[in-house]
Amino acid sequence: MRASFSFLGRGSWLASRDPRVPILAGLFFVVGVSQLRDSRQLAIVVALALGYYLTAGIPWRAVRLKWLYLLVVISFFAFFNTLISGGRTSTFSGAETHVLLTIPPFGAEISAEGVSLMLSQILRFAGIASISFPMAYAIAPGDFGVALRRLGLGDRFAVMIDLTIRFIPTLAGEFAETIDAQRVRGYDPTARKGGPISRLRRLAPIFVPVTVGSIAGAEDTIDAMDLRGFGVGRRTWLRHLTFGRVDVALIGLFVLFAVVATFLNVTGRSDHFLLPFLVPGE
Amino acid sequence: MTTMAMGQSEGTWSVTTRVIVYAAIGAALYAVFNFISFGIAVPWSNEVSVRPHYGLLTFFGFAFGPVVGFLTGFVGNVLGDQLSNYGAFTSWQWSVANGLAGLIAGLFPVWMASRMTTVTNRAITAAVGGVVATVIGFLFIFVEVVTQQEMSFNAILTTEYIPVIIVNAIAAAIVTPILVLAWEPLKEQIGR
Repeated sequence: MRASFSFLGRGSWLASRDPRVPILAGLFFVVGVSQLRDSRQLAIVVALALGYYLTAGIPWRAVRLKWLYLLVVISFFAFFNTLISGGRTSTFSGAETHVLLTIPPFGAEISAEGVSLMLSQILRFAGIASISFPMAYAIAPGDFGVALRRLGLGDRFAVMIDLTIRFIPTLAGEFAETIDAQRVRGYDPTARKGGPISRLRRLAPIFVPVTVGSIAGAEDTIDAMDLRGFGVGRRTWLRHLTFGRVDVALIGLFVLFAVVATFLNVTGRSDHFLLPFLVPGE
Repeated sequence: MTTMAMGQSEGTWSVTTRVIVYAAIGAALYAVFNFISFGIAVPWSNEVSVRPHYGLLTFFGFAFGPVVGFLTGFVGNVLGDQLSNYGAFTSWQWSVANGLAGLIAGLFPVWMASRMTTVTNRAITAAVGGVVATVIGFLFIFVEVVTQQEMSFNAILTTEYIPVIIVNAIAAAIVTPILVLAWEPLKEQIGR
């Protein structure tokens, strides 16, 4: 079983930036885009976010299924929200809706307002994904810890992130070994029938030994770290990070975006936009 | 072993070497299991997956404290999302909710210390604590009312909160005590 981070953006323009850049970009982008509701503004933001995404040089062939999955999930729950709310939320709450279609047997309504809300929701998620993917693929896994440390996270927590990233492939390997061992005893990991409780019971012979074995093995790591004086004094990091001018400019753009989005939100200039072609004559 | 000799106290909120390593293992396990079983949606819910390994999170909180619980849930969910198609920030509110559930599960042994005199009592408390932590911790997802204003309160309640707490509460109620019962004898052996 392979469970490790793919550095798909290796060698790209974004990957050659300071690893703190994609993290800060993601942070400021989420702050900004969460405040925008107008689908026209969001469409512009998504276009810009896709431009940023392209700088990460992530091969399309490697992530196309991930994009498809993500967009299907996003569309599914945006649609479901539309059915439940009938378009009567946020900007359109309390307003009379323009019903386009009523779905039997419960009479769920698809309204122009609901479709407009759905579009905003999908665009926002697509934008967040466009910024979030490069964070996953354009940062070398070994740089996460030092990047977070230099962003102000404590040494111990930064090391914890580093350790987690290093443990993932190891534990995935142990998991695979445990499955093989249990399979010899008659365990069938491919059986997928049944509800959540059945699945839960089927997984127990796997994750109990993996979990307890990992915890028992942790004592060696703890002793090794303690014997090397971990946590006693200030920790130094082998990798040194320095912001270049381009890094600062890029982060500045994302800060600017967050500020502009906050301004638009606070001044009421980013209310949901009712798609005009859905309500002809108004 | 050597931990206490390094001058690190082991209070509820202390961040010792032990806490760091247990949190890293918990988060890595949670991320790996998230990766493996990700994408099995609960019928009539959105963005909610069957996650039987959720009991790991409440177990790590219960066994090793609130800091380990929070880090296991938060970091484990973030890295699990990274491994399984989503980016880290795409569903950040779910990561925080997982972290809070682990944190609350970690507070139960502190609150209920006097009642956990036997292994059986510990297991029962772990099950109850896991369920309560799930119900409280996942209230955080209602932040979507602010961050995704298209989502109505009813939509979040019916398609996200209720399905996720049902699935996770079942996992917590069953898996957490199983892991507590498996861990207790080992804990004695290694002198914890």
